Amino acid sequence: MTAELPPGLAIQKVDERIMTLNVGPQHPGSGHMRIIVQIDGDYIVACDPDPGYVHRGEEKMAEYRNYITNIPHLERPVIHDSCNVLYPYVLGVEELLGIEVPERAKYVRVICSELNRCIYTMYWLAIYGIFLGHSTMFMWPAGDRELLIDLMEKISGARVTHAHFVPGGVRNDLPPNFEEVCLRQVNYFEKRIKEYAAVFYDNPILISRTQDTGVLSREDAIRLGTTGSVLRASGVDYDLRQKEPYDVYEELDVHSNVMKEGDSYARSKVPWLDMMESCNIIRQALQKMPKSGSVRVKLKPNPKGKGLDSVYKRVESGRGSLGCHIVSDGKVEPYRLKMSVGSFRNLIALPYLLKGEKLGNMPSVYWSLNYWPVEADR
Amino acid sequence: MTNTATGIIRALNSGIKHIATKRFTLRYPEEKLKFVGDGYQFDPSTGVGIAGLKGRHMLFHDHCTGCQLCSIACEGVAEAIAMVKVPEEQKQNKKSIMPQIDYGKCVFCGLCVDACPFYALYMTNDYELSSFSKEGLIYTPAQLAVKPYVEQDSEIVITKYGATHG
Ligand code: SF4
Ligand code: SF4
Repeated sequence: MTAELPPGLAIQKVDERIMTLNVGPQHPGSGHMRIIVQIDGDYIVACDPDPGYVHRGEEKMAEYRNYITNIPHLERPVIHDSCNVLYPYVLGVEELLGIEVPERAKYVRVICSELNRCIYTMYWLAIYGIFLGHSTMFMWPAGDRELLIDLMEKISGARVTHAHFVPGGVRNDLPPNFEEVCLRQVNYFEKRIKEYAAVFYDNPILISRTQDTGVLSREDAIRLGTTGSVLRASGVDYDLRQKEPYDVYEELDVHSNVMKEGDSYARSKVPWLDMMESCNIIRQALQKMPKSGSVRVKLKPNPKGKGLDSVYKRVESGRGSLGCHIVSDGKVEPYRLKMSVGSFRNLIALPYLLKGEKLGNMPSVYWSLNYWPVEADR
Repeated sequence: MTNTATGIIRALNSGIKHIATKRFTLRYPEEKLKFVGDGYQFDPSTGVGIAGLKGRHMLFHDHCTGCQLCSIACEGVAEAIAMVKVPEEQKQNKKSIMPQIDYGKCVFCGLCVDACPFYALYMTNDYELSSFSKEGLIYTPAQLAVKPYVEQDSEIVITKYGATHG
């Protein structure tokens, strides 16, 4: 028994003061993941996030399916944001196969991806509310996202997992009269989310619970490689829709929301401001969209890549930059596919943020990272 | 301190105002949502779909040639489609095979509809597919040929007093 045990199995020295606590993985305020925290009284001494409980092997699965049949399973990591999860893949395959996408399809994609961003953020906000024990903030977003789910259902025929984007455009054109319905519901949606200010964002109880907790400085945010709303809440103006515009984003006026504080409050507010920006983008896109025209290029039945080739594309999803690296060897299936997801990159900041915090602040800091367990595990 | 008090009062006030707004909840089995069109369809000549709900499939026996393209399309997705022999009296094509769909596996992506080149397979607005057994979820070609009747009566209406399912 003198052989050395591997690090994970080694018996830890027992400390009189420090207690190890497992939060999760059965979902009580952690999602499908475990956070191992070591606490001294009420204060967190160390924290070790332990994701991987919902690993589905999406990347490996993609190597056995062709470029089209990959679509339904690749949007599973974040079903509420399924258009954005699929977006980099579709852009990459288009570059590999050399497909030119019709103008109208690009606008339809932008509308879908912005609607999806709001649907995701509302779900995230609902959970953030209930994590903090604010059940109104659970009910309102969960109800109001119905307005947008209804729009997505009209476009794509499915409430979640739309399977709407395909290499070469989108599956089908917008239904008749869509612009009018969309405008009406998006305007009402925007009016509704503005009402959240009084009940949630300006609420002194929320402010006292989230302000100055889990502060991520600008330097740390860059050093740890965080992305999306976490990065922007720490004062770094970086939005891929602005910095590396894809599809028709360069023709639209995209404004990115930046806050300087870097605390949980800023991180919870930036996605909410982003939703209003999304409503703006949808309105612009509806106005600038060509009124008719094709939305999908006809492909050969089993499209193939042209020899050895690789492509990396990234988009701004609801959780930050989401990249997809596809390697093709000229067959009908991708040779390799890798996703670089925002959730995983933001999770890396968690141990730094929780050190020295009170245990009661853990839910607010953890969920403010805009983290989605299934996406991090793929 | 006064700031805290007014903030809490504002938050409460904003919640209380909502007593007067309309109820947004869809009371599901009593009310059912209205959809656009008759379900997702696909036009092979242009290669573009027609918007609609992706619900249960509908098979047109007089168009289906038994070419198996739908089943091949589903192979990489869910393997929900099996080609089965149809009884002699229902025979409409030379191979006398037609798709049978297992809704225990189907993910309603509609890629099989995109694959059918003969206008034989569409999707409908039917979404109430529950069954007490796994076998009950397997729809034979004869069951798929039935056009469903789907009640649709409510849509989102936005009024001065908030949105509601009217
Ligand atoms: S909708 Fe998708 S999963 Fe269902 S039978 Fe068709 S291809 Fe298969
Ligand atoms: S439904 Fe269409 S694709 Fe399937 S076997 Fe019949 S004709 Fe072929």
